Amino acid sequence: MMNFAAIPEPALRLVLCIVALAVFIGLNGLLLVYMERKIAGHIQRRPGPFEVGPHGVLTPVADALKLVGKQLVAPEGADKWLFWTAPILSFMPIFVLFLPIEFGPNLFGVETNLGLLLILAFAGFNVLALCLAGWGSNNKWGLLGAARAVSQSVAYEIPLLLTVLAVAFMTGTLDLGEITAMQGAWPWQWNVVTQPLAFVIFFTCAVAETNRAPFDVPEAESELTAGFHTEYSGMGFGLFFLAEYAEMIVVCSVATILFLGGWKGPFISGPWWFLVKMYALLTIMMWFRWTYPRVRFDQVLNICWKWFIPLALANLLLTAVLVKVF
Amino acid sequence: MNETMAAQFLFALYSLIIAAGGFLAVSAASLVRSMVGLIAALFGTAGLYLLMNAPFMALMQILIYVGAVAVLIFFAIMLTRGEDGEGSTSALGRLVIVGASLLLPLLLGLVLFKTDVVTLPAPELVDIAILGKKLLGEYVLAFELISVVLFVAMAGAVVLGFERRDAR
Repeated sequence: MMNFAAIPEPALRLVLCIVALAVFIGLNGLLLVYMERKIAGHIQRRPGPFEVGPHGVLTPVADALKLVGKQLVAPEGADKWLFWTAPILSFMPIFVLFLPIEFGPNLFGVETNLGLLLILAFAGFNVLALCLAGWGSNNKWGLLGAARAVSQSVAYEIPLLLTVLAVAFMTGTLDLGEITAMQGAWPWQWNVVTQPLAFVIFFTCAVAETNRAPFDVPEAESELTAGFHTEYSGMGFGLFFLAEYAEMIVVCSVATILFLGGWKGPFISGPWWFLVKMYALLTIMMWFRWTYPRVRFDQVLNICWKWFIPLALANLLLTAVLVKVF
Repeated sequence: MNETMAAQFLFALYSLIIAAGGFLAVSAASLVRSMVGLIAALFGTAGLYLLMNAPFMALMQILIYVGAVAVLIFFAIMLTRGEDGEGSTSALGRLVIVGASLLLPLLLGLVLFKTDVVTLPAPELVDIAILGKKLLGEYVLAFELISVVLFVAMAGAVVLGFERRDAR
């Protein structure tokens, strides 16, 4: 029998956390695919997937098996090395992104007072992966998608950081656990009450950063076939897909912690409140996708540079003044 | 002792990443591959910061260089896509370039072997709150001057861009 006491506690926690995260991300991928297709179906007044399993619950499993079984094809003239690095690069940082998130009391991967910064730093990898994918595919749609992904994510990262900074000003910390601890259990004790504008900007920018509709111009089907992942088949596409869903979970978790009180909730606080809030935000994200039409690319950038950045700056300034005064 | 071994191993690993990344950056024929090498080198540098007990610097390195600067470099590559510069240097030219790039590491290595190596204790972990207070207190002049330099560089880039557009 192994003696677990011999392993240092942080290391043991890290290993357990990564194993748990792998399971969590995989299961969530299946769940979110099902959720998305069902929500899409019901919003468009059709039942959605219905054939595999009762009410189609096994459809995502069938999808996953199909993806795993497909042949991996790299196009002629593609930069093979970059082509296969890209999906791996997009998926690798996901584990790091989850580590500092506090899902419940004492339920986190690593304790760090720089949790927020860790997430922001490693979230930048995704756009890099999209660039390499678009470039390496030797495909004009792919390249156009990559170009769009770059300009979009560079633009939206600024208001995102500014709103996060506003919350950091208020709480005086970048530690996600401490930010949760400073909020109360009831909705009027959450940061969203004091920072409503920041919450709206953060959530909108998060939708744009994860390339979700209505801001999914890097992969706009009607213009770019599939954008940066046009040439990917099988698990190459699967990894991008899984990374996108995992990133959605990360941004919704961060929004939950920053603005909605984290795992604290009325009556009995705990991880279940975290999951309820996170899935509520994810549902809103999907609701967006099937409600709003995709905006034009120049509109995407105009909204960011002409509205979000000035508003976020004003919000930050106001927060700074108020923090100083009170 | 165990900790020292781990630190040495990590130092070797990060140095290897930096060296390999740097080599890829200068030797790759395609600009995008060079950029990937550069990113690897910057990432290794972040690891070195981590080893020096400066996690804030390490994360900032990743956030700024990997997340922003590398992406902007990619943007620049894409906007100026033309020839990838394959085979533009002769064999002799390449030899000279390799020799020139090896000169500095050789000299530094020589100096290192000639002098006694002094081991410094790992620096203390500084809380970012203290870091921020120092930057806006004791070192406020330097901090503001750096931002002025960055601002001048940005304004200069804009001015240069406009001039070129007029000339066309």
